[in-house]
Amino acid sequence: MLEHLRANVWLLVLTLILCSILYPFALLLGGQTILRHQAHGSLIDEKGNPVTDSSQARGSLLIAQPFKGDEYFQPRLSNAGSGYDATSSGATNWGAPNPLLRSRVARQLGPIVKYASNSPTKPGQRVGDDIDAWFKAQVQQDPSYVAKWARENSTIAEQWVKDNLDAVALWLNQPGEVVKGDPAKASEAFFSRFVPKHPATWPSVEDQKVIKPIQQGPDVQAFFFDSWLLANRGAMQKGTIILEKVPSDLVMSSGSGLDPDITLKNALYQVERVAGKWAEKTGRDLAKVRQEIVALLHQKAHAPLGGLVGVDLVNVLEINLALRSRLLDPRSSWRNDQATPRRDDPEGGLHP
Amino acid sequence: MWMLPSLILGATVLLAIPLGLYMAWIFNGRYHVPAWLRWLEQRVDTGSQDWKQYAVAMLLFNVAIFLLGFTILALQPLMPLNPDGKKMLGPTTIFNTVCSFLSNTNLQHYSGEVHLSYFSQIFFICWMQFITPSIGLCALVAIIRGLRGERDMGNFYLDLWRSVVYLFVPLAFVVAILLLAAGSPMTLEGNARITTLEPGSMGAEENGSSKPQEIARGPVAAIVAIKQLGTNGGGFFGANSCHPFENPNSYSNFLTCLSLILVPVASLVMFGRMLNQMRHAGVIFGVMLLLSTATIIWAVFFDAMQPNPGLTAHAERTYKIPDSTGGQLTVSLPEVADLPVDQSLGNLEGKELRFGTSASATWAALTTNTSNGSVNCMHDSLNPLAGLTPLAGMWLNCIWGGVGVGLINFLIYLVVGVFLAGLMVGRTPEYLGKKIEAREMKLAMLALLIHPLMILGPTGLFTALDWGAQSTNNPAAHGFSEILYEFTSASANNGSGFEGLADTYGFNDAETPAPFAKQWDIACGLVMLLSRFVPIIAPLAIAGSLAAKKLTLFTAGTMRTDTLTFGFVLLGTVLLVGALLFLPAAVLGPIAEQLGPLPFGR
Repeated sequence: MLEHLRANVWLLVLTLILCSILYPFALLLGGQTILRHQAHGSLIDEKGNPVTDSSQARGSLLIAQPFKGDEYFQPRLSNAGSGYDATSSGATNWGAPNPLLRSRVARQLGPIVKYASNSPTKPGQRVGDDIDAWFKAQVQQDPSYVAKWARENSTIAEQWVKDNLDAVALWLNQPGEVVKGDPAKASEAFFSRFVPKHPATWPSVEDQKVIKPIQQGPDVQAFFFDSWLLANRGAMQKGTIILEKVPSDLVMSSGSGLDPDITLKNALYQVERVAGKWAEKTGRDLAKVRQEIVALLHQKAHAPLGGLVGVDLVNVLEINLALRSRLLDPRSSWRNDQATPRRDDPEGGLHP
Repeated sequence: MWMLPSLILGATVLLAIPLGLYMAWIFNGRYHVPAWLRWLEQRVDTGSQDWKQYAVAMLLFNVAIFLLGFTILALQPLMPLNPDGKKMLGPTTIFNTVCSFLSNTNLQHYSGEVHLSYFSQIFFICWMQFITPSIGLCALVAIIRGLRGERDMGNFYLDLWRSVVYLFVPLAFVVAILLLAAGSPMTLEGNARITTLEPGSMGAEENGSSKPQEIARGPVAAIVAIKQLGTNGGGFFGANSCHPFENPNSYSNFLTCLSLILVPVASLVMFGRMLNQMRHAGVIFGVMLLLSTATIIWAVFFDAMQPNPGLTAHAERTYKIPDSTGGQLTVSLPEVADLPVDQSLGNLEGKELRFGTSASATWAALTTNTSNGSVNCMHDSLNPLAGLTPLAGMWLNCIWGGVGVGLINFLIYLVVGVFLAGLMVGRTPEYLGKKIEAREMKLAMLALLIHPLMILGPTGLFTALDWGAQSTNNPAAHGFSEILYEFTSASANNGSGFEGLADTYGFNDAETPAPFAKQWDIACGLVMLLSRFVPIIAPLAIAGSLAAKKLTLFTAGTMRTDTLTFGFVLLGTVLLVGALLFLPAAVLGPIAEQLGPLPFGR
């Protein structure tokens, strides 16, 4: 027995020294001397140069950073913490049968989907206006349509309450905990009181606090896209309506919530918005700006294993940095043909 | 689509052959080392052991690492290397985590970057991930010695030391350096706080200033390397190998995916070499390769080549089913339209883009073929039928398998296969010249049946109670799959999960822990322990009893174990036993999910 005890103690001590001191220490040494950039988390500064001091860094090449403005390419959806929280990686973990997954995708699609360029009806136009019109027709016919919708789509309505706890609690004049404790009941209470009070409208939430009854706009388009789609299924089967397909990485959330890349297809889908904003900010010709951005995207695109096993991707932070530096750099060829930036906004709306 | 899995399997086999020969060389003790290493070996060597002594030594050592591991985790707030001030975990979570890492499962009911300090990561996680695969490997080596007819099975402590020092540390060092070069961090500095490029994109602080993006990092490369090589799977970050710091690009993905199966495949080469039965090992390799390829093809086809069916069109359907009063109930599933999404890359929910199109499905298959359990996509969001691949891999639990224990599990199927074949031809079954008799079969059945018992029993219990029913985050059949997956993963000592399951308690002072986290912690902890040690000790006993038997003569009537015919017998045994045990559960879970309705409810 004593022999076993001795062997156990020796083994514990020796393996701890080897596996938990010598092994990581050797790697730390390698990381702090040779591979410093990687060892600190692939941080980069404003110019895209590698740095190791986080106070000078403006992001990590490997970690998705949120971008909200129209002039930026936007990364994939994130479920890390409350979004792009790199201290709490994670995903939705929603399976195909989960109605929340379908509803989230439909809500993203509503305001952005366009008729395809080969569609017999309104080629190239957004479907948003048609959804608004369809919604108005529905609620004119049946002013309590929204209440009926909330009953039939109870899971989605409940999630809406969870997403807007403060606003719903304030509107219902109930403590936040009560609403949070039983969102299903709160959802029922809310819609059964809201609809008679504001018939024929959808409750849009402003600033996370105020509920405003609306009859059109992105919120209506988001929530009623799926119903509109179903109502128009006949036309779609006949081919009188063809919708443009959206790249799936634009609407599907990533595994870590921190995926730094988007597909080139997704980036090209976003180009119209990005180029439009840049053209507006710099007062340059839209077609030219667009052409330059597309060229830049193709130049920065990379594919897994050198293109052997996947599709072209673009690193969002890298591309946004490149766009910014080209527009802020007076020597850049992108600025040569251009008038001085607007006076009130010397950096074209960008804050360094 | 098929390029990546072919490259990974091909490269693994090429590397596994020399590695397996090297492993055989180490465990046969043919090497010469400097005097100071020899001196260290003498400190741990307690002399030769028979199977009982070997098993006792193994259990004693496990008790020792349990106690030390528990202490390290429990004292987390008092320990150094804690720049972000992590507190103590809930006691049941500590119990679960220690059982989990002790049994080489590495199921994580916590989230690495949220709940663990660098000290816990290095002195508990990293250390355990070196030790526990080595324990599995020792058990395999002892069994091989028994099968060779040696009653002296070597010395457990010495074998363990050899495995850690000569195999895992050098291998992990090489992989870690490559990972570091690819972009995995290796630092002891705390979270990086970064001013975002677009002011206010992370929201605003209380005082109105822009919130920085806080980025967790740490000694990642060191831990990811051994996590992959030792069929461990306990990631540094919650998102495991989805996280860009654990798996920065397609090259690191190739390397770590290869590392998943490298040592298990090499163990097979070692097995053949040590027994001097290369053809027999070749037959086993063939069966495993066939099964492994089948699971990869299944996963890639149903996940990377099919759209997520939750977004596609489904026609209206009406069913009449009998209700409880004997009458008929009409259930109608509403029609849903096709959302205009270009799903040519397959189902991208819970996937990362940088690894390549088929990389996530391939990984899902390989990580559950072996008992690794690291993930590079969220298995919970796999397409319904693709979710069957990881489940099936863990149910069989012998395609490559965990380091050491995978091949041990396969040997159980082998004994059963030999027995069935013996019954069919009416001869006393023999394996490697030793008669398989009642005692061996009893032990084999014990090792075989503990697995389904530990999966189906607790799954039934938790599904019937609120413990399971209130912990799922997906509806109906998929919710059941989450419960089933958790216990399958625990019992297979795998560690991956349908991570939507609410099983995280968090720190001891957590305000809103998952309501049934304690039940999950304790039940999974017990399942992991039983499913680890019973299937190791029973085969050790078989090997001990075979070693004591006389060698029978090899005649024309002897059933050969190195032929194609025997390969089919093995394949049939694995598939039949696996299918019979788990088919009903598969039908209630992923298959029911695929049949719809999709989406389930609105």
